[in-house]
Amino acid sequence: MFYFLRCAGRNMFQSPLLCTAAVGTMTVSLTIVAFFGVIFFNFEELTSYWGRRIQIKTYLETVPGALVLQGWLVEIREYPEVDEVVYVSQAEAFDRFKERLGQNSDLLHGMTPSILPASLEIALKEGFRNRQGVERVVGKLRKNPHFSDMRFGRDWLERFDSFVALFKFSAGILGGFLLFATVFIVSNTIKLTLYARREELEIMSLVGGTPAFIKMPYVIEGAVQGFIGGLLAVVGSYLIFALFLKQSLVSLLFTMGVGRVSFLPLRFQLGLLGAGVVLGVLGSLASLRKFVRIHYS
Amino acid sequence: MIHICNLSKSYQKDSAALNDINLTIGKGEFVFVTGPSGAGKSTLLRMIFCGEKPNRGQVLINGRNVTRMSSSQIPYLRRQLGVVFQDFKLIKNRTLLENVAFPLEVQGKKRHEVSKKVYQALKMVGLENHLTKFPLEISGGEQQRVAIARALVVDPMVLLADEPTGNLDDQTTQEIMELFKGANARGTTVVMATHNQEIIKRHPRRVIFLRQGRVVDDYTP
Ligand SMILES: Nc1ncnc2c1ncn2[C@@H]1O[C@H](COP(=O)(O)OP(=O)(O)OP(=O)(O)O)[C@@H](O)[C@H]1O
Ligand SMILES: [Mg+2]
Repeated sequence: MFYFLRCAGRNMFQSPLLCTAAVGTMTVSLTIVAFFGVIFFNFEELTSYWGRRIQIKTYLETVPGALVLQGWLVEIREYPEVDEVVYVSQAEAFDRFKERLGQNSDLLHGMTPSILPASLEIALKEGFRNRQGVERVVGKLRKNPHFSDMRFGRDWLERFDSFVALFKFSAGILGGFLLFATVFIVSNTIKLTLYARREELEIMSLVGGTPAFIKMPYVIEGAVQGFIGGLLAVVGSYLIFALFLKQSLVSLLFTMGVGRVSFLPLRFQLGLLGAGVVLGVLGSLASLRKFVRIHYS
Repeated sequence: MIHICNLSKSYQKDSAALNDINLTIGKGEFVFVTGPSGAGKSTLLRMIFCGEKPNRGQVLINGRNVTRMSSSQIPYLRRQLGVVFQDFKLIKNRTLLENVAFPLEVQGKKRHEVSKKVYQALKMVGLENHLTKFPLEISGGEQQRVAIARALVVDPMVLLADEPTGNLDDQTTQEIMELFKGANARGTTVVMATHNQEIIKRHPRRVIFLRQGRVVDDYTP
């Protein structure tokens, strides 16, 4: 084991150019992946932010008694789709309205809260924040004759649904494409570095090295290079994010209602490191298959 | 020791590099394989160390059929053979010490055992003072001596040498031949391919003469 590590280390130090090339391609490829990752996660943040605003509002013609209201709340909370139910009393509705009017709130001068109806605001759980989820809950609510006046923005919901679908679809295509390109570029770079060492590999097999023995140092080398590449990609994409991307994302997303722009979540950063290692190992193994042969000509 | 039966090999469809070879080489023999260029000398040696698969026929070493060996067994066969080539085939970014140590490391030998054997092997070829040099820092003759040390460090049953003196001057060729004869005297079977008749005249040993992939002469002077 120590022998393999020593070999891997020496290989890297003795051909710094090849090593740099391999690390460099992995860094660049993974940085591009991370770059799109940042954009993706922030847009996902946007959709889930929008999704949180999906709610069903049912206006109540008469203010219910406390006991009846409590019964409804308990019942609705038991629906599997429902995250939270809030009762908005007439007074609360009036206050909110006043707030919304801002400077013009004096228009309400002399009016009493009773001009506005009380309502229930029903928020949905993560997986149900779409048209079907809303319709299922609405269907259940309809059974109660007191919930006749429901609002849930049908048109808007449809647009939201198709936006989310399109977003996920394009992210999937782009991600798949990027991944494919990365694997391709990295395995070709590794192939180049091994091509430069093909003689060495041939000699090792001539003096009786088993394929596993011959490959081990190069696989370790690939893993280390992939790890370094992943690390640099995290750092690099953070720099890009902090220096350039953040500004434009903030101004873009702010207009759409998201105030906070964030870098990749930790699990994605770790994933990037892991992806680097996997890329390095798989790339090395794939290329080694070509160069380490028992029978050669 | 080495039995070759009906061995044929062709790279292209209608030209055979080896054509129905039958040979027996005994333990401890010293054999020259000679013949004009393209006669199949290198191909024959490659068949013995499983560098390539034959189209037909068999090679048996110590009774084991090496042509039927699986790729996972071949490395273990090669550990019992020493190979030397015209172009030395040393690993350029490793020191002489590391080059000679490599076949032992492959076998997972203990460190102190490795260093002792490596030192002895390099001493045998007279290069024990150049342990930390790299192959390109020494002459061709010295590189070939390192290659021979690497081949002999594992105490092989058979030493296979393909034109080992092809790039070397007379004086160096002489030194190399002495090394081979020394190894042979210690019991290693030596098979050496060469087209240099001068060497064969100077060192009378069994000669296998190939022409167009066939054995046309096989004599011991
Ligand atoms: N890898 C190969 N692919 C195709 N043909 C080959 C290959 N190796 C050898 N040959 C052919 O096989 C024949 C025998 O070649 P081989 O190298 O065994 O001859 P040789 O006796 O060693 O010649 P030389 O003295 O020039 O080294 C030649 O006709 C050569 O062209
Ligand atoms: Mg030849």
